Formats: sequence, structure tokens, C-alpha cells
Amino acid sequence: MAPPRIPATPNEIAFSEAFASQGPVANYGLEELLALAAKNNPTLRQAEAHISAELGKALQAGLYPNPVLSYEAEQIGVDGPNGTSTPGEFQGGVIEQRFVTGGKLRLSREKYLRRARVSENLAMAQQFRVCNDVRIHFYKTLAAGEILSIRREMAKTAEDSAVTAQESYNMGQSNRPQVRRANVALQRARLDVLAVENAYNEAFRTLSTLVGIPLCVGTVEGVLETRCPVISFEEAYGRLLAESPELAAARAKLSVDQVTVARENVQWVPDLVVRGGAGYNFEAEQTTAVAGVVLEVPLYDRNQGTVRQAQADYARQRQEIERVELELRNRLAMIYQQYLTGMQHAREYEQVILPELKAAYRELLESYKERRVDWPDVLMAQHDYFDARLTQVDNLLHARTQEVLVYGYLLHDGLMAAPGISPQGHIESVPKPR
Amino acid sequence: MSKKPSNANQSERRRFLKTSAMAAGGAFYGGLVGTSTAAQEHARKMLDMQHGNQLPAPLGDPAAGRPVGVQAEYDGYSRFKPTRGDDPDSDFYLGKLMPGFRSADAGNAPFYAPDLDKLPWKMVGGVKEFHLVPMAVEREVLPGYKLNVYGYNDSMPGPTIEVTQGDRIRIIVTNELPEETSVHWHGFELPVQYDGASELTQNLIKPGKSFVYEFDVHENGTFFYHSHIPMQEAFGSVGFMIVHPKKVYAPPVDRDLGLIFQNFYVEPSQSIADSWRMDWNWQTINGRSGPYTTPLVVKHGERVRIRIMNFSPMQHHPVHIHGHTFWITGHEGARIPKSAWVPRNTELIGIAQATDFEFIANNPGDWMFHCHMVHHMMNHMTRQVGPRVRPDQTVEAYLADLDRSPGVNLKNSDPGFKTPGYPQEMKGMVMQPEFMKAIWNRREVQGMRATWPMSVMGLMTVLRVLPDDLYRIVMESDDRVEKGAVFAEIVRRFGSPADYEAAMKMHGMS
Ligand SMILES: [Cu+2]
Repeated sequence: MAPPRIPATPNEIAFSEAFASQGPVANYGLEELLALAAKNNPTLRQAEAHISAELGKALQAGLYPNPVLSYEAEQIGVDGPNGTSTPGEFQGGVIEQRFVTGGKLRLSREKYLRRARVSENLAMAQQFRVCNDVRIHFYKTLAAGEILSIRREMAKTAEDSAVTAQESYNMGQSNRPQVRRANVALQRARLDVLAVENAYNEAFRTLSTLVGIPLCVGTVEGVLETRCPVISFEEAYGRLLAESPELAAARAKLSVDQVTVARENVQWVPDLVVRGGAGYNFEAEQTTAVAGVVLEVPLYDRNQGTVRQAQADYARQRQEIERVELELRNRLAMIYQQYLTGMQHAREYEQVILPELKAAYRELLESYKERRVDWPDVLMAQHDYFDARLTQVDNLLHARTQEVLVYGYLLHDGLMAAPGISPQGHIESVPKPR
Repeated sequence: MSKKPSNANQSERRRFLKTSAMAAGGAFYGGLVGTSTAAQEHARKMLDMQHGNQLPAPLGDPAAGRPVGVQAEYDGYSRFKPTRGDDPDSDFYLGKLMPGFRSADAGNAPFYAPDLDKLPWKMVGGVKEFHLVPMAVEREVLPGYKLNVYGYNDSMPGPTIEVTQGDRIRIIVTNELPEETSVHWHGFELPVQYDGASELTQNLIKPGKSFVYEFDVHENGTFFYHSHIPMQEAFGSVGFMIVHPKKVYAPPVDRDLGLIFQNFYVEPSQSIADSWRMDWNWQTINGRSGPYTTPLVVKHGERVRIRIMNFSPMQHHPVHIHGHTFWITGHEGARIPKSAWVPRNTELIGIAQATDFEFIANNPGDWMFHCHMVHHMMNHMTRQVGPRVRPDQTVEAYLADLDRSPGVNLKNSDPGFKTPGYPQEMKGMVMQPEFMKAIWNRREVQGMRATWPMSVMGLMTVLRVLPDDLYRIVMESDDRVEKGAVFAEIVRRFGSPADYEAAMKMHGMS
């Protein structure tokens, strides 16, 4: 009785996308992709727009108030010398100018310039978000490519096992259920290949969206192994404290809040509004002039509330810096353990596990050559070695991803809208930025 | 050699080989187009026959004659050609009591166990004193294959203790093993405190310590000594103890040969025998496996005794000699009275049993001599699946790049696979040039067919029966003897030269 047949490859039923199978394919390097992303990722331009917006506000906030020109007619109908009603005691043009005091404009401009600096830090953070994300997905794609080639090797192992089952069957050394099981293992290995092909396509497409322009599906070229020295947690945290753009933004925001307090402190200083003009007094039938000075008397409202609010904002921002520091430490804690675990696994696989499995495979091959072991034992060792290589790709990807985050200030998600400087509530709501 | 898938392939191969041999120096692969895969496969492996089908040049001197004054025939039984004799009740039926060339006056024939030494002794105060050292031993069972086992005095099996009936012997045993041991003198009727049955009769000998065994030997025959710790026994702790009779057995033999059969389990890429196993994948005769076992070389017409002792831990061995019918003349207990001798071709030898075979070597040639259990006729059997049985696949392709598999055709295109059970052939081991050099670098194998190492595996050796002149060339000269020349000469003198077929030369071996 013939053994159950080896099943056909499942390509047709699986609508295989046949990764990189036809024609020449594009080959992308990391630098090239980073450059493309810098040019095309919309969030980076959003971030630039945020800076421009703040600079615009700074300009606006520093503009001197315009003079006010008015025509005035007063006491219309007052009796004139002839006993007639006159057009008025005064008909004429008046010019009024507000003289800003207390350095309000300078402070306002300063405040918005400082806000622009916050936006610059946020834009820097956005750049890291984009670049880190491009890097991470570049490595994901790279890993997916390597996993695909290993999975294809493993499918060959499964094919060999199926053929071996047929041979064993013909020798009376395996039975029909065993042959069927080998066939099933083969189909599963083939499905694994298809799944990894799909995963590769997904990784590449995700990478393409981060870059900001559609790339035709191709391959990426690079090295998955981490390249940077392993750093300690405290070192990594020290780096964050010194250089994190998020923290820099929070600190810059404190300086904004500082100048906001200063600005609000002078808000009560009354501006001097001077007005003057010339006209005709129809009652006295002569040309007259008007002049006036307006000065708000800060008797009740010395802007105490807003000052207090600004001070509170300032105090809150001090806490915000601490919060950001702690939050970074918190995020780093998880990422660092994953980074370290990935590095430890990758190194141990590199130095011990893979060489040992490879040596075991080699020794079994040599023993088979000497006719000392059965072929299924060799296949098992081959499978174990290939399987560990698969795990190593995961280890390397894991280590590399976390390394990008550790060295890239924990920033990722390059398609989240670039954040602007956080709003400041009531003070923001005045018509002229102050 | 496989006869499958068809005889057509077989004859095609022969035609090809003949052609290629004639085109000496020409390309061996020329003219291969159109031959079947199987024929190509064979062609790859076998390059040519040494002399085509021509006999090599004559060797020795067929006219040198036979020993003078020797009676060639008794009662219809000839010492020089296969015969049975005229009468089953005759003393000479099947050469039963036919004397050899050696006279009883010359004393007992020297005992010889190939590949084993004898334990030296000194006469001390009228006692033969031996020093026996149980120790860990590395034994090269095949060229390049060293096993870690236990033995005595740097040998596994231990050296032979050879004494004569009536001797008083003293054996000073110094334990160089890292564990306790004792030595049992198997079969001797000795005072109980020297029996070596650990704990029952003596305290175990601690590492580094000695124990003195001393007793009179009143028996004679084939005996042995061994550790009385079971796992040490399974690990190889045994040796021959031959007691020659004071009065030479009649008729005297010319050759007195001894073989210890053992087996072990050894994992691949491992050298330490696993004495706990129930199955056994390594067979040895006097500590060597075929084809590294040393052939027993005797002269045509000699009376030969072979003493076989089975010290396998778990396996009995049906031992078979080709080309001769032998008499069972003794077991380990004692020599058997002649009336109870049994003629046989195969004798089952159980564990811890010894059997003495006697026969007249009346049939020249290279004769298989082996345990008949098929799984004992090889070492480390493996299943015949994988690249080895696949057309166009080699293990080298896998070894060349361990990170990639060369892949496999989903259908084995060997037409043989249409036959259920194919291939049944247990293909032999891969024999590297150094391996073959060690195999051939022994006088005992000179002039055998070039392919003999392919057939002698595991618990197998060869009995070579050589005419006097050829015996001298093989065993007493340093002459280089061409492969197959002695065999061919025997064919020329005793066989049918017209049907002679030379051995094929193996690829990479010369
Ligand atoms: Cu056997």
C-alpha cells in the first residue's frame, strides 16, 4: 500500500502575495528612508507650523497699539450768539494714542518668543518620534525579511521530514498516521511561510506610511545587531535628564510661565491714553482744541487674580518638570528592562546557544555521514537550530527596538499629530495675545 | 551488493566497468549517457577492477609441496580437501581425531588470542606469580574509534593468563580503578576465600589497594577471569585464563586460538560505553570490531582449535564458520569426552559460556567467521533514510552550509522505491583513507580481496586457510602482497579460474 501523498504547496488557496518574487525590487537603506521621512512626514511640518504660530504671536504681542482717530461733535443744538441752535460747541477731529507702560509689550513678546522655544523643543521631540519610528520599523522590516528566509529553510526541513516519512514508510519503519502527521507538519510550516510573507508586507507598508510617501514594495538592507555600547540604567536616565526634548520643552515652558508672571505683574500698571484734537466751537465761533488724558485707577483690580493664576501656572509647571522626569524614569524602567533582556538574550544566543545548536547539528550530520545516527535525529537538530535562529531574530529586533528608544529619548509614534505647546486657559482667551 | 532494482542494471554496470577498465587512463564517466541512475551511482562509487577480470600474476610456489611424513588421508577423510570420511563411526569422520602436523611430544600448541597480550609471570618460591591491575582503559575498537571501558593492565579484554594444570598460582590484584572491585576466577574449583565473589567471600578491593589470590590449579580447559561487579563486567572487565592440560590432548592441535566476544552500547560522537543500556550497538572480538578484527591465519591441513568465550552482557551468539565443519570438543566446564563431541557449522554460545571448536583446515580460502545474528554483523545500525538513499543528494551539501538546507525533491526518483521495503541493504560504514590504511596495514590481511572490509563488520572475523607457501609469504615475509593476489592464487589452485571475478576497487582506496 502506498503511503499518503505529500500535499501540494498551498499557494493557490492562500492568495499568496508572493513577496518580492517578480521583477527587480527596490532596495532601501536606513539613511535613505530617514532622509525621505524628514522630507515627507507631515507631522514634522506640523511641528514647524507650531513654531511659526508662536513666533507670529510674539510678533503680534509686541505690536504697539494704533492711534485712534475720531471725529467728535459735542453739545449739538446749543444756542449760538444769534440765539439760534448751533451744530455744537465742538465739531472736530480728535486723535487718541495709548501709551503702553510697564514694558507690557516687551514682556508679551518675550513670552511668545519663549513659547516658540518650547515649540522648537517639541519639534525636536517630533523629529525623534518620526526618526525612531522609522528606525524601529526599518528593523522590523529587516527582521521580517530574515524571519522569512529562516521560515523558508524550516519549510524545507518540514519537506525533508515528509520525504523521510515516505522513505520510512517504504522501509516499514513508519505507518500511515505518522506519514499523515508529517504531511500536516509540512503544511503548517508552509502556512508559517505565508504568514511571515504577509507580516513582511505589513512591516514594509507601515514603514512606507512613516516615511510619508508610498514606496514600492522592496527589501531593506541593514544590520539587525545592535551597534551601541550597552549603557546602565542610571546612564540612560542621566542622558534623558540632560537631553530629552520633552524635558527641555517642559523646562522652556517654565521660563514661559516665569515671564507670564512678570507680564501679569505689570498688567495693572495703567496705560496712559492721551487724546487731543482741533475743531470749531460753533457757540463761540472760534477754533478750539481738545485734549485729555485717561488713566485707569487701579483701585480694585490690580490684576491680582490673573497674577495669582500665572503664579499658580508657574508653580504647576515646576511640578510638571518633576512629573516629566518621573514619567521618563517610569517609561525608561520598562523599556530598559526589555532592552537589557533583549541584549542579554541576543548576546547569549550569539555566544552560546546558536553555536551549540549549530555544533550539535553539525555533529549529528557527521554522525549520519558515518552512518551512526538516523536521519530524523539530524532533521530534529536542524529544526532546533533554525528555530533558535528565529528566536535570535526576535531577540535582536527586541534589543534593537529598545536600543533605539533608549538612545532616542523614549520617543516614538511618528504618525501622532505633532503637539503644540499646551494651552494656558484664561490668559489665552484675551483677544490680543499677552 | 544490491540486486535491485533490476538485473538489467547489474549487467549494465558490469559492462560499464569492464569498458572503463579497458580504457585504462581514460575518463571513467565517458559513455555514461543513457545509463540508468542506479548504474551511475555504482559507477561513481566503484572506479575499476584491479585487473579487469584477469587473474593477478601467480604468487608463491605451488610445487613447494606439503610436509613430508604426514598422512594426508585417514579413512576417506583428507586434510587437504573438503571431505567427510567414509564412516560416521570412524575416529576420523570429519577429521574428528585426525592429528595435526604437530607431535604430542612438542607439548601444547602455543595459545594465541589475536590483539591480546599475555600476562607475564615470575616463579616465586615455586608459585607462578602474576600482577593483575584492574583499570580504566581506552580501546581502539576500529581505526579512529576509541572506547572508554574498564579492563586490566592497559587492555580490554585483559591480558591472557596462561598456566598449566597442576600449577600453583598467585595473582596480586592491585585496583587502579576509582571504585572497588574484586576478581572472580570463573570456573575454578578453588578455596572459597579466593573466589572473588564480592562480599560473599571477600571484602572488595578498595581503589589503590591490593588483594592476593593464591590457589592450586587442578583443572584444565578454557577459563576466564572477570570483575564480580555487574556493571564493571558490562563495561569490559574480563580476560582469558587458559589452563593447558599436563598431558597434551590427543590428537594434538597445531593452532590454539582464542576469541572473546563482547558488545557495548556507544552513542554516536561518544566514546564512553553505556553499560546501563539494554540494547547494544558495538560488537567486539578481542576488543576489536570487524573489519579491524585480526583474521585467524592457519596453514592448509592443520588441526585447529578455536576457543570462543562470550562475555556479552545480554546477548547470546550463534557462531558460524564458513567452509568447515567443526567438532565441539569442550565447553568452559571441561573437555568433552570424545564420545560426546558434536559436529557443527554453528554453535550457540550463551553469556559467560566458552566453547572449543576443533577441525582440520582442509579447505583453503578466506572464510567468514561470525555471529549469525544479523544485528550483530554490524555496528551502530542506522535506518536507511535521508540523503544517503536519495539520488543526487549528499551529506556534504548539508555540511557545506549549516545555515541553509540544500532542500529535497518531494519524490524520490530512485526506481527502487517502487518496491516496498527498498532498500534493505545495510550499507557499510564510511571508510576513510586512514581507516583503510590501518585495516590493510597488517600481515594477516595481505592478499585478501580489495573489498573484504566491506563485508566483515561487527562480530565478524575471517579464518584464512593458506597453503604453506602462501602462508609464509603472508605471515613470515615482509613482501608487499597485491590486494586479491592470495585469494586469486587460491582460486587458481583450488577453484575455477575461468569464473574468477576481481574485487572492485573502492573509490578513494588503493
Ligand atoms: Cu551475536
